[in-house]
Amino acid sequence: MSVFAARGIFNMARTPQYGPGTSVVAINRRKQMDPSHKLTIMRHISDEDIVLLLGHRAPGERFRSVHPPIAEQQEPACPMRKLVRPTEGAKNGDRVRYVQFADSMFNAPCQPYQRTYAEMYRFRGIDPGTLSGRQIVECRERDLEQYCRLLIETEMFDPALVSLRGATVHGHSLRLSEDGMQFDALQRCLLGDDGVVRYVKDQIGLPLNRMVEVGKPLDSAWLKEHSTIFHSLVGTALRDDREYVEYLQRIHTLRTKYGFMPREA
Amino acid sequence: MQEAMIFPQCRIVPMRLLKPDTTKRLLNEIVGVPGICRILLNGQNIPLNVPYGPARGMKNTTNLRKKIEIAGNSVDLHVQVGTITVEIEDRAVVGKIRTICDAFFTDFSYYIQEGKFMKTSPSMVDYARYGPSADPSVIGLVDPKRKEQPAFIRMPDERICGEGDF
Repeated sequence: MSVFAARGIFNMARTPQYGPGTSVVAINRRKQMDPSHKLTIMRHISDEDIVLLLGHRAPGERFRSVHPPIAEQQEPACPMRKLVRPTEGAKNGDRVRYVQFADSMFNAPCQPYQRTYAEMYRFRGIDPGTLSGRQIVECRERDLEQYCRLLIETEMFDPALVSLRGATVHGHSLRLSEDGMQFDALQRCLLGDDGVVRYVKDQIGLPLNRMVEVGKPLDSAWLKEHSTIFHSLVGTALRDDREYVEYLQRIHTLRTKYGFMPREA
Repeated sequence: MQEAMIFPQCRIVPMRLLKPDTTKRLLNEIVGVPGICRILLNGQNIPLNVPYGPARGMKNTTNLRKKIEIAGNSVDLHVQVGTITVEIEDRAVVGKIRTICDAFFTDFSYYIQEGKFMKTSPSMVDYARYGPSADPSVIGLVDPKRKEQPAFIRMPDERICGEGDF
């Protein structure tokens, strides 16, 4: 038996940690990032509704392409191309389109940075752009519609606190409207008297021919338990998660002392 | 230039952004309080047209931007109201405003701050816009670059500013 086997090194399976922290926020972040964790389906939305919300093509319209299907074109002899399996959208030469979400800091179930982390672990062939209050993700059109389904149907979405906003996105850091909806200058979605949120405009603000239902807003207790943002007033305070604070301080110290080459003495 | 008198100010900060109808109900109660000089509504702008993106220039259909009636006067509301700053003749008026707000904000909380929230003397931009004889009642109420004038609310005769019991 070798030294390594004796020490159990060969049997040591690496388990990804995804992120630090012991608070409920940290646990929720890890759940969303972990691709082996099955996210809870909270609502259902049809293919046509997703197409309407995105506004990139008319329902039933074919996917437009920017190049012939990969199978029909001559691919150069490249080991990387053999190694990487193309997504359905790339295989068919689809256009690159986008979806952008704005998440309220009042206990929205997902947050821009968290969204990017989760998408990078769960999706392929994406190009996310992360800002403080909004997150855009670009990818091939048919992949986008498939990814959008997960982003809207699962616990990563709340009809009141998360919304699809291609442009005029302001609302993340603002107080909520008196009906509990995130502020939207274009009022893309409305809370009906029956408590259901309906989109009346697509993500860029063009009026829809028919309203798109995205379900009822989740209650505040559920949101607090499933939020991925720290908020000292309405949710979990960052200071209450000592492990998270310790991790952030360590990263800050290493970056301050060593820049992009962090080495601990 | 006319010398502006400096009055105390207070600011009502609800925990939620107010819809036009709620703003209207609240203001109709507040404007009846004797001793209020000026009221400034602050909030997020609701654009008339879509400002950015492929839909830029299209009419922004929304129920957040509309005309509201305050004491029989029409006010064109451009914002979703977040704070209401009130200039008052005397600090005692704050108590009366607080009484109204206590009864009004039942679904969510609010707080009132006392301090200086509006400009009380003209800035250089005000001087450039209005000249040396600026009306002191306008200073601090509107952005000098805007073309719209503030709304003037005339109260019925029975309400005399600074007098009467509340």
